[in-house]
Amino acid sequence: MSGVAESFGIRALGGYLPLLRLDRKTASRELAWSGLPMPRMGARAVADWDEDALTMAVEAARPLCGDSAPSALRFASTSAYFTDRAQSGIALDALAMPRTVRTADAANSRRAATSALLDALLSARDEIVTAGEQRPTQPGSAAQLAFGDGAAAVRTGPDAPARLVGHASLSHDLVDRYASRDHPVSYSYEERFVRDIAVAEVLVPVVRAACAAAGITPGQLAHAAVHEPVSGCWRAAAKVLGCAAPNHCEAVSDNAGDLGAAHALFGLGLALDPAKAGDFVLLLGFGSGADAMVFEVARPVLGAATMGAALKEGQLLASFSRFLSLTGSVELDWGMRAEFEQKAQATVLERVGRDMIGFVGGRDSTGSVQFPKSAFPVNPALSQVEVMEDVRLADLEATIVSITADRLNFSPDPPFDFGLVQFDNGARVLMEMVNRPAEGFRVGDRVRMRLRIKAQNRRLGFRTYFWKAAPLVRPVQGEG
Amino acid sequence: MAKGIRDKVAIIGMGCTRFGERWDVGADGLMVEAFVEALADAGIERARIEAAWVGNALDDINVGNSALPAAHALRLDKVPVTRVENMCATGTEALRGAAYAVASGAVDIALAIGVEKLKDTGYGGLPLRTKGMQNDLWMPYGSAPGTFAQLAGAYAARHGIAAGDLKRAMAHVSWKSHQNGALSPKAHLRGAVDMDKILNAPLIADPLGLFDCCGVSDGAAAAIVTTPEIARALGKADPVTIKAIQLSASNGWEMQFGAWDGASVPNTRVAAARAYAEAGLRDPRAELDMTEVHDCFSITELVIMEDLGLSEEGRAPNDILDGRYDAGGAIPCQLDGGLKCFGHPVGASGLRMAYEVYTQLQGRAGERQRSKVDFGLTHNLGGSPFNSVAAVAILGRLN
Repeated sequence: MSGVAESFGIRALGGYLPLLRLDRKTASRELAWSGLPMPRMGARAVADWDEDALTMAVEAARPLCGDSAPSALRFASTSAYFTDRAQSGIALDALAMPRTVRTADAANSRRAATSALLDALLSARDEIVTAGEQRPTQPGSAAQLAFGDGAAAVRTGPDAPARLVGHASLSHDLVDRYASRDHPVSYSYEERFVRDIAVAEVLVPVVRAACAAAGITPGQLAHAAVHEPVSGCWRAAAKVLGCAAPNHCEAVSDNAGDLGAAHALFGLGLALDPAKAGDFVLLLGFGSGADAMVFEVARPVLGAATMGAALKEGQLLASFSRFLSLTGSVELDWGMRAEFEQKAQATVLERVGRDMIGFVGGRDSTGSVQFPKSAFPVNPALSQVEVMEDVRLADLEATIVSITADRLNFSPDPPFDFGLVQFDNGARVLMEMVNRPAEGFRVGDRVRMRLRIKAQNRRLGFRTYFWKAAPLVRPVQGEG
Repeated sequence: MAKGIRDKVAIIGMGCTRFGERWDVGADGLMVEAFVEALADAGIERARIEAAWVGNALDDINVGNSALPAAHALRLDKVPVTRVENMCATGTEALRGAAYAVASGAVDIALAIGVEKLKDTGYGGLPLRTKGMQNDLWMPYGSAPGTFAQLAGAYAARHGIAAGDLKRAMAHVSWKSHQNGALSPKAHLRGAVDMDKILNAPLIADPLGLFDCCGVSDGAAAAIVTTPEIARALGKADPVTIKAIQLSASNGWEMQFGAWDGASVPNTRVAAARAYAEAGLRDPRAELDMTEVHDCFSITELVIMEDLGLSEEGRAPNDILDGRYDAGGAIPCQLDGGLKCFGHPVGASGLRMAYEVYTQLQGRAGERQRSKVDFGLTHNLGGSPFNSVAAVAILGRLN
């Protein structure tokens, strides 16, 4: 391949799914009376009320940050909350990266992430591409059950275990589905039409071109991560291409749902995980055309197993109405306490926002850590003003000191679990808890930190983000 | 330690409105009710008030900032009026301001008045905070029951008490206050409630059920203070005097520095120790005849009994179940029903507590009257167990 360093490719992957799952049978049973055609098999991942495309993309990217900052952080989504505020910039602060790291947002297409990844690979730079998706859907639509919420991230770089050996892109304004300012939920066209055109006009030619660039035939592909616009596309295309590689994105669709811009990258983890040295792996992002990339695997890719692990985890949503509420499909009357709105001030965000979203506390001259920082340390052994050393708490575990499940104040998904959390380095922080275990939280439980929406001002259309404490281990589906 | 203000300030008049859902009256009317009663009790004219401290805690929705709402409502002409706020310790804070003014000799007669008009929010519980400053970027916005509920788990963990046993002791706290509230004509909640109903009430914040939580009310209470000499000159032969007022505030260590297990409220302990010293009480368990404490939640009262040193560590549940703090017990707590049943208009509560002790000290408490009351203690707790302002006052008689 010309223009790309020989060993350049994918160095590591990260995947994130929200804990909650909706068994599609639950929904189809609820809607059986309507006669609407609904997917019945498998489950979809459902974001908690305080998760969005950004928080999930940050979670996916966290394992990729390592000891050195990348040269760029790219965020991709078709469902980002802000339309004039770079999500990548917020993610940069949440990941506590230096401000000198370049940031870019990619949007408006399900293949935004693969296009961003291809750009990173072709520029031969060490970058993180992270994609998150939480797309709004309409009750009764097949998309509501077919889509899922989740995120996937990739770090590129030299000396990669999966190097890019060929690629091709094709632009084709095939309107298989769309969302717009006036129709924010996905509108889809007939599947048979989409399948026929997508296979013949997009998938087959772009895969052929990528394989040709890699100097292989499609039949040499061992694994594929193909984001299908509708199911069955890869089966049809593979037949034409003479390719037997399984499409690992199907497992994502079945068990978590179509993750939009994150779908192909999530499937890539599943495809790379079982790949052996010498295997060729296809990545295909679809949306208004396609990007196809062929990787040659030299050794295991760090983090590829996280996708498979995330698919196995999950807590089933027993209530369809809770699902409708979490997805914003119904608006319950939560009473006057829900009228509460808190305005975040830009001046305050400018002063302390980076410490807040980065969860950065301070270490005093005795070594004790506190959050937030203060001029006079909270440590009673100290009596003078001092400048504290930054300490990031987001990646540390802690222990619950006190806890309650609050049912009075408004929460979109009650109860509101919160309490004091003690970090091993001395910091003690009053925190919200998420991913409530079946038996509830208990004093002494160990917790880890997750980025979440802190506050949502619906009237002003603004969100703030902070970290919340979650159990260290998630239940595997069917076990809790 | 400084000598303090023991017996330097006499209370010559007090007033307290009926607490509750006062749809009939606003904050100004509440202040007028309490003030008129206090003036009549003191036997002085309004013009004798030389300075005033008005306490209200939740300025966004009810009374309003500054001296002006009180100055207008009471038509205090050119009087130096100061508005104070210290969360749930606000009422005692107002009394502290007025008492210090008299004790310093700055004025002869001062007014302390606390008021809150909470039932205009349209919902139960305390009003919500909407300003959105730095703390709101990270601090969970739990409710008041949510913050105090956490005392229960921590207390049970420290003392190895089974959750069910603790819950029964907490229920007795509420049961007792309902019994007392039924005898309190100005109380918000005047119905007795049985233990089963308390124990089986819906959860508000684990493990606090509905009956573990105090009422949120409208109300006002006022005290007129002066020197013992002027009190005598006004015909108060053995006036009620302030033996101590002490306050202690968190500097953040409980919630930011890992040295506290969450099973007690350190500020209460500090304020109480200072107050006992100021009042000259060496054995408060034997010397105190009654307490009015900040029972915003049943678990709070339980923990306060140990924080005030009235129960041994880990023994408050036993003492409570043994009736030590019931109306007929050794040190009755909340003879007027407490926050639980008299109600909790935040800025007024500290002065409402003083009103009950003042009334008992003068033998004017009717059906609730204790046979012997020489010393009574009031306790306010603002904020949350992990970030609090605690105020302790002790009242007695001059002679």
